[in-house]
Parts: sequence; C-alpha cells; structure tokens
Amino acid sequence: MVDNIGGSSSNDNGDFVIKEQDRLLPIANVGRIMKHILPQNAKISKESKETMQECVSEFISFVTSEASEKCRKERRKTVNGDDICWALATLGFDDYAEPMRRYLHRYRELEVDKINSNNQEIRGGNGPHA
Amino acid sequence: MRQAGAYSKLLCGGISRRTGPHSLPLARIKKIMKKSSEDVKMISGVAPIVFSKACELFIEELTRRSWNIAIDGKRRTLNKDDVASAVIATDLFDFLIDLVSNSHANLVAGECVASNTNVFDSIF
Repeated sequence: MVDNIGGSSSNDNGDFVIKEQDRLLPIANVGRIMKHILPQNAKISKESKETMQECVSEFISFVTSEASEKCRKERRKTVNGDDICWALATLGFDDYAEPMRRYLHRYRELEVDKINSNNQEIRGGNGPHA
Repeated sequence: MRQAGAYSKLLCGGISRRTGPHSLPLARIKKIMKKSSEDVKMISGVAPIVFSKACELFIEELTRRSWNIAIDGKRRTLNKDDVASAVIATDLFDFLIDLVSNSHANLVAGECVASNTNVFDSIF
C-alpha cells in the first residue's frame, strides 16, 4: 500500500528528495527533551539537535522494520504496541522494553476506564444499573 | 484509521492528564513508521504512543552519553561531533554509524530542499 504522505518535493529531482518535515521529528520537541536531561548551564548546538533528529528517525525506522518483519512472518497486518516492545528487546534496547511494557499496561488501564466512563454517560448518568 | 472518537480523545487528552503530555507528535511518528519498510501495512493506535516514550528514552540516553564526551573535552556546549562520538562508542547505536558519518551530506541535502537546488551540485 503506497501512502501519499503529501510531502514529496516537486523539484527537478522528482521524488528523490523528501521534505524534512515529513521524515524528521520537530527540532523544538527533540531539543526540549535533550535540554531536560542536561544540567542547567549546558548549551546545545543547533547541529547536534539536527543530528539527534536524524538519529531518532533512524531509530524509529530500525525498530519498526524489525516489528513489521515479525508481523509479516506471523501473517498479521497490524503492528501493535507489543510488537514494538518485542522489537526493542530483540535489538538490544532491553532497558527500554520494560518501561515500555509498563507504559503500555497503564495506557490500556486508562483506555478501559475511559471507555467505561463514556459508556456510563451514554446510559444517562451514574445511577445504579438494573 | 478505524480508531476515532473515544480513542482519539484518549490519545490527545486522557493519558496526558495522568502520565504527562506526549512530548513528540504522534502523527509524525506514524509517518516515519510507515516509511520504514514496505512490510508496514497497518499500525495500531497505540504503537506511536509507545514510540513517543521509547524515542524520549533514546534521546535521553544518546544525549547523556554525548554530554559525557563534551565534559571530557572540557566543553559546556554539546556539538554534533560529541553525538557522533557517542554513537561510535556505543555498540547499541551501531545502526547509526553510517548516519553520523554521513550527517554532513544529509545537512547539505536538507539545505538544498529549502533552497530548491540540485543536491548533487552541492555535494560534488
């Protein structure tokens, strides 16, 4: 399935060069995360933020490829959160896999809560159910 | 995407209230995921959320390692070579080695997109 991501640059090179904003995460967000982990007096060059943007996109591609390969072998069409966790662990990012599983677990709990409270609203309030 | 309504509200609002805002845009993560491989057909709604956390951890780790290198060099400004050195020094980041040694070429390519010039004219 070919997606038109609406970002191909239409210059003489045709589809060769893809607009940066489509393949990279925003520099402001990346810079903020970097700043957060560094001491107050640290400075971050613009080039290092740009390099970090490139690295993160490569990280996403690297892990996603591994996860989607697993899905292909198991004849599943949808890459889910567990596939990502599995890929992280397989590729050596064990330290991330466990916090990810906990994050995913918490997300699912919130999801169930949210759906339950939505259903209560639809039924017309918080009164006891028959 | 099938997931809409309650799910999208949750993606935007629900989880943020308790676990903190997603620091990275989910739609962009999804785009990057789709481009990574021809095998990628469908992506569940939760996968970009998992990635937003994983990317945060990744950025933190690479930044920390790069900073240690800057400190060793008695500098307080993190620069691109510190990031490259951290990548080279860490086995886990081997998949980035080509990228950091090519990073100059990528930046030139980026500038060419902005100025609508031919990439090859600029590099060679």
